[in-house]
Amino acid sequence: MVSNDVYRALEDALGPENVSQELGVIDGYSWQPALNLGYDAWCPRPEAVVMPQTTEEVQAVVRVCNRFGLKFKAFSTGWASWGSPGGPGVIQIDLRRMNRIIEIDEKNMFAVVEPYVCGSQMQSEAMKRGLNTHLIGAGPNCSQLANATSGWGYGWTGLYTGFSGRNPMGVEWVLPDGEILKIGAPGTNAQWFSGDGPGPSLRGIMRGWGGAQGGLGIFTKCAIKLYSWPGDAREPHLKGTLTDIKGEVPATHKIYFLFSPSYERFADLAYAIGNAEIGYIHCKGAVGAMFGLLAPRAMKKLMANPVVRAITKAFQHMTLFALACHTPREFAYQEKVLRRILDQTESVMIDSSVLPFHAAFWWGTHRSIFPAMAFRPGGDFLTSMGSNEAYDCSVKNAIESEKLKREYIDKGVFFEDMADCTWGGIYEGTSNWGHMEQIGMFDRRGKQSQQGRFDYLDDTMKLTIDKSLAFGLSCLGFDLWKVFGPRMFNYHLWQSKIKQAFDPNNLADASFYIPPYDQVCADAADGAEKDKDAMPASPAP
Amino acid sequence: MVLQDLMPDMNGCSRCSNCKWVPHLQVKSWRFAKVCPSVDRYNFHAYSGGGKMIIGNSVLSDRSTLNDTIAQIVYRCQLCGACQVSCQVYRDDIDLADVLLSLRSSCVEQGFVLPEHLDMIESMKREDNTMYMKKADRGKWADGLDLTDINQSKAEVLFHAGCRYSYDEDLRSIVRGQAMLLKETGLDIGIAGMDEACCGGRAFEIGYQGEMKNYAEDMASRVKASGAHTLVTPCSDCYYTFKYLYPKNGLDLGVKVLHITEYVDQLIKSGRMRPTKEIPLKVTYHDPCHLGRRGEIYKSGWYGTNKLERPIRFKQTGKMGIFDPPRDIIKAIPGIELREMERIREYSWCCGAGGGVLECEPDFAAWTAKERLEEARATGAQALVTACPWCERVFKDALAETGDTSLKVMDVMELVSISQGGTSYGVE
Repeated sequence: MVSNDVYRALEDALGPENVSQELGVIDGYSWQPALNLGYDAWCPRPEAVVMPQTTEEVQAVVRVCNRFGLKFKAFSTGWASWGSPGGPGVIQIDLRRMNRIIEIDEKNMFAVVEPYVCGSQMQSEAMKRGLNTHLIGAGPNCSQLANATSGWGYGWTGLYTGFSGRNPMGVEWVLPDGEILKIGAPGTNAQWFSGDGPGPSLRGIMRGWGGAQGGLGIFTKCAIKLYSWPGDAREPHLKGTLTDIKGEVPATHKIYFLFSPSYERFADLAYAIGNAEIGYIHCKGAVGAMFGLLAPRAMKKLMANPVVRAITKAFQHMTLFALACHTPREFAYQEKVLRRILDQTESVMIDSSVLPFHAAFWWGTHRSIFPAMAFRPGGDFLTSMGSNEAYDCSVKNAIESEKLKREYIDKGVFFEDMADCTWGGIYEGTSNWGHMEQIGMFDRRGKQSQQGRFDYLDDTMKLTIDKSLAFGLSCLGFDLWKVFGPRMFNYHLWQSKIKQAFDPNNLADASFYIPPYDQVCADAADGAEKDKDAMPASPAP
Repeated sequence: MVLQDLMPDMNGCSRCSNCKWVPHLQVKSWRFAKVCPSVDRYNFHAYSGGGKMIIGNSVLSDRSTLNDTIAQIVYRCQLCGACQVSCQVYRDDIDLADVLLSLRSSCVEQGFVLPEHLDMIESMKREDNTMYMKKADRGKWADGLDLTDINQSKAEVLFHAGCRYSYDEDLRSIVRGQAMLLKETGLDIGIAGMDEACCGGRAFEIGYQGEMKNYAEDMASRVKASGAHTLVTPCSDCYYTFKYLYPKNGLDLGVKVLHITEYVDQLIKSGRMRPTKEIPLKVTYHDPCHLGRRGEIYKSGWYGTNKLERPIRFKQTGKMGIFDPPRDIIKAIPGIELREMERIREYSWCCGAGGGVLECEPDFAAWTAKERLEEARATGAQALVTACPWCERVFKDALAETGDTSLKVMDVMELVSISQGGTSYGVE
């Protein structure tokens, strides 16, 4: 609870209907089971919740926080624990009322959005104009602004649209002291078309690899890239909501299941696709997980059958691949190239257009609606590994994590999905880098998963270090910069210097980012003294 | 079902907020992507379906307590069920609508009730209706129609008008036209007149769950006495009560229950009813929540406790609600062009009237209705057609408030009646 003075100041800034400290209301911001690294799904309860509607109102809230020395944490659509306070004494800023698509510039292929524009809204408006947008794998319920500015994510169409960090252009940013900073072209009032100039280019500082998770202030507007949509400039007419989707798929669009005989050939296939610059979707598929998502109850029974297990494992090295072309001629060319690559990599394909669920599969992947089906088998899931690196390294991530996950499936921690790596692909064609992510599905309400999933995450972290698998999602846990920073060129010291420079009063809740430099130094000295083994000593700052 | 029994459902919430949106593959624009009137109007997460589950969880976990503020949040919800549809796109183990109902029941048990709802319950107890009207006047809507009185003789089909149609004089011509349409087709239609009573569904929805049983038993005895083989109602709320709430609570009417749109659709398809007169009109159809997704028959037969093990056929997805019969009727009428809105079928936007909101939060009901009217206008339709007296009431009032005369609000049966030669509804 905040003091009466604080509450009145917040009400004066936003109106009483946009401020609350009612326990039942603020608990709506404490419950964050998704990717929560605590035993309890409840995060620290915010002291109050506020809902600004404009940049000026965000600025006013931040200034109130500065005046009274309160921390703040903003979120957009608000899924996952890093959107909530990491400790006590935090004002939660729910950006839900900032929900406009301010501009769609068709010619220059970008859109300017506020925080509460979700992926499906943006994609539907873009498609009407013959354009498309990058939707992260978490799904179209997520904020387009947040995924471009503040987090790490990759979507089905990453081959075509890049990943989160590739998509922001100009950004409007309310700094932790309440000042407004515009980076990229808007920094010199030159519209929004560039993230790097003619105004200040601070994209690296703004989001780095994985985003600051709210630890550097609040992004209130962001221009995001749009991409050519190789289809009709309209929304498709579809019936149904998920696997029951029925509708037309353009003749120049098709999705394939590609099967390789080994992970080595799987990687060769990915490199060849990237080098050939074909395709719209490239993503690791997993037969076990796919059946688990589509028919979780049947899957449990089927997995008890050793023959079914053997067959499923034989199709382990699966790639989901899609073509989306502007013309029949382009489509014929790309499919011809694909067939040649399959021959070269000893791989085979199933053309899903001959299957009854082709429309559901095509449109479902296009809008990224399937990943959240990972809730179906157990009601919850976690993710791990996933360094974005040269694809050979990503494949190594997959191989190592599959062995580890197998152990945890056998212990009953995770749902049986044959332990296959389930998510990830190559980015941006010839760049030939990408990531592979290991997802574990579990029932949070079950006792076996309570401790087991944390043990698993610890083990993936150790695996990352022992096998040199590069910095990935398993390195993003609470305070893990203490472990990985000293091993990776002391990135944490640079990061904490940025934090200190941008947030001198340390009010932007950085629980999921990094503390200011002075605090990192103090913690390092203290930690080294207390436990030399657990906290590798950092070089002198 | 008590709230405590739903703790696994509440604990299962991942806070993905899909409950706030139209199922994402059906999002067709920025403008009409939202599906929950409550959170769209009041914004705090607590107003969403997921947010209300967190409230229930918080209360049962002794983190917070019910109070007047929280009760207001709980009641600022039409129980339209859209959140459950969107949630269940992904989740097999969460019955969100059950949580919403149980939360209301908890509010009542702990004394957090709204005066408007108390008045409604009082009206039900004293006069057998939700409309604060006299029981003696219930049958007046049928004066002069010469329909069979089931208190006097048997009938093949029992026509249950429901509270709104029985007393709302502004809608009287619609219900009279419906009954006459059936009678003129040669059907043996009976009504209970002043002895017809509320179905009790509204009492259940506003948290007085125990009250419904008496009305259900009364209804069952009336049906039995009528000798009818089919019960037809033009009220979507009654339909939902008969098809879902009664069987879910172990109550059986022992008769086939049809909404009038289902019945007339069958009559048209069998050739017994022939709408032949051309109506040159562009219309859009609004799916009433309690006929559509909430009108899905209760899928009984699974008695387990771990919903992760529950076969899909027992999941209330809303997909088996009544969506096609009213549309097929509209399509059967020559000259009419049906233009669909973006949010339709199981992911339809609510009219605003349900769940006791019309009675206790009329401004919120009107706000919700106006949002739907805007969506209807975006189709270019001249008329918003629906199949529920509650929807019709709130739409007509909202339209009158805006002063817009470019759009009409009509019942599907009005169109059928006109196409069969009737002109009593003032539509050219």
